[in-house]
Amino acid sequence: MKLIINHSSMQPIYEQIVEQIKNKVMHGELKEDTMLPSVRTLAKELKVSALTVKKSYDVLEEEGFVNTVHGKGSFVAFANQGLLLEEKKKEVEADLEKAIRKGRSCGLTDPEIRTLFEIILED
Amino acid sequence: MLRLNKVKKNYKGFQLDCTLEVQEGCVTGLIGKNGAGKSTTFKAILGLLHTDGGSIEIFGKPITKIGVREKEDIGVVMSDSGFSGYLTVQDLIPMLRNMYPRFQEAEFLRECNEQKLPLNKKIKEFSTGMKRRLQVLAALTHGAKLLLLDEPTAGLDVIARDELLDMLRTYMEQDGRAILVSSHISSDLEGLCDDIYMIDNGKIVLYEETDVLLDTYGVLKVTKEQYEKLDHAHILRHKKEEFGYSCLTDQRQFYQENYPEIAIEKGTIDELIMIMIRGER
Repeated sequence: MKLIINHSSMQPIYEQIVEQIKNKVMHGELKEDTMLPSVRTLAKELKVSALTVKKSYDVLEEEGFVNTVHGKGSFVAFANQGLLLEEKKKEVEADLEKAIRKGRSCGLTDPEIRTLFEIILED
Repeated sequence: MLRLNKVKKNYKGFQLDCTLEVQEGCVTGLIGKNGAGKSTTFKAILGLLHTDGGSIEIFGKPITKIGVREKEDIGVVMSDSGFSGYLTVQDLIPMLRNMYPRFQEAEFLRECNEQKLPLNKKIKEFSTGMKRRLQVLAALTHGAKLLLLDEPTAGLDVIARDELLDMLRTYMEQDGRAILVSSHISSDLEGLCDDIYMIDNGKIVLYEETDVLLDTYGVLKVTKEQYEKLDHAHILRHKKEEFGYSCLTDQRQFYQENYPEIAIEKGTIDELIMIMIRGER
């Protein structure tokens, strides 16, 4: 797996690993069900501690990007990715609804709310 | 896999008092300057010297109860040990075969080939790097579960060090293994160890997981005025410098967020050790 770790960066190494793997999954470079290298193999490749790699795999699992099957390995969970997006979309919808309700309740007309929305979008 | 509890050894002018643990599946590093007690610790573990207190357990058994079977599961490389210079690698093979029932002869030969270690040259004609790699190879190829390596990279050039560390990483790819490795070259440890013990003057002064050390520890470089206005809650040590003070913190993000104008460095493990040892609380 082609990951590039910057040892002099202030960003923790495990975060760099998480970010790069996430990007690969979201850009389709790592397809669903692809098996990630074992913790120690990746640790060897990147020349970092195995605990660091384990930490990043744990974070990826928590965020739904990866599924770990005990004894077998960690696999890219692309299907969950779609679900996650759906979840996030629903959250954005709910937040927007809340904002619109608030606007209406303090007397803003719909066109005024729409203008506000456009302004913020442009920012 | 290895547990030392308050192991004491008294010498004239020096006292060892060491507590550390190596877990299965982990590479644990022991760093300290020369004379800090690293080799003494290794010798105590191997039973090469009598201790004046404390307990040492390997694979859950006190070392007094370790038998031949357990010893076959331990691979050792000490900085001042070595094979007789008059032997060739070829001569070593029957020796290793007889000493270790689980000696992996084919793998040993294959690695010697890969590492370009000549089979029929006398060991005394090997370079330091070659001798060390031969020692490590011998320790890695008899089915050992625990490796005890005292400064295995000392005296090696950058490339040889890297190759040796890679051998250790490959070794760790299998389950059920552990390594205790000491070094005073911290860059070796940063790329290999999962956790690190720092020893100074015979005592463990710091224990941390490597990635915590690299991710959250830092060195602040401040002027005298900045130092006086600083929140000292997360400063472990400070050291007077030409420009003011260097301060060691285990919460570099706190200072990054609250004092954006201060110079903060991530710090290599070497720099962290320097302040840990030379700085004051």
